[in-house]
Amino acid sequence: MWEQLSGQMFFIGFFGLAAVWFGIVVFRTYSMVRSALALLFSQTALGAMFLSMQAEFLGVLQIMMMATEMSIMAIFMVMFMMDPGGLGKMEMTHQKRLSLGAGFVSFITAVVVAVFVDWGPVVSLAPDAGQQTVDLGLELLGRSMLIFETAGITILTAMIAATAVAIKPISRSNKHGS
Amino acid sequence: MGLELILALITGAALFGVGIYGALSQTNLVMIMMGVELILAGAMVNLVAFWRYLHPDNPAGQMFVLIIMTVMAIEMAVGFGVAIARFRAKGSVEMEEAVELKG
Repeated sequence: MWEQLSGQMFFIGFFGLAAVWFGIVVFRTYSMVRSALALLFSQTALGAMFLSMQAEFLGVLQIMMMATEMSIMAIFMVMFMMDPGGLGKMEMTHQKRLSLGAGFVSFITAVVVAVFVDWGPVVSLAPDAGQQTVDLGLELLGRSMLIFETAGITILTAMIAATAVAIKPISRSNKHGS
Repeated sequence: MGLELILALITGAALFGVGIYGALSQTNLVMIMMGVELILAGAMVNLVAFWRYLHPDNPAGQMFVLIIMTVMAIEMAVGFGVAIARFRAKGSVEMEEAVELKG
């Protein structure tokens, strides 16, 4: 039992550290493609961390979703950046000191809350992966159905709106074929 | 066991801090979106840790993680839509050039 708990702690720490390290690399590299890949690795490490915390369904979902999302982001990076390879070492930051301060203060505040708040008794055992998926399915199609449906409609609306914003406006002359 | 919860919460805090730095310091719209993704990832770690170590018998915790994932996807879709529109209009997605949006 003790060995199993230590293993879980090790993997949470290891993947957590990897996620934070790759998160930092996102803003340290000049190459935008590397930035997108670093974010992909950060999110994948997070998925592995979820698996270590016995949230199997969410872990696999996170890895699958983020792999696709970040690949699309890498394509957009190549499309939109003036120097996607980072060979010119362009400076693309502003208000650096303020941002560092804000990030550091929010990190310290969250750590103080995490360490000093009494979170109550910790539960050592979690339901197995199959039971978790069944419970989540029943939750989504039962008590939380309205929230789930709202999320679905919102994402559909966002996709349609994003496509509508992104498509090239048709000029009147083109519309009539002249 | 409490140590695992603290470890996960500290990871969430670190991701949140890095995300705040990225969202505030970057001048490119796509890089700002990357910062926001990291902020949401920090929130997601906290939710999974709270579900696992405090209420593993209540699937509502996992449901909230799914909502955060939806928010991430929506942010990407809308952000890229805006980026394409901006690039088409001005030829760049540098936010320092978007001075006409200033109130």
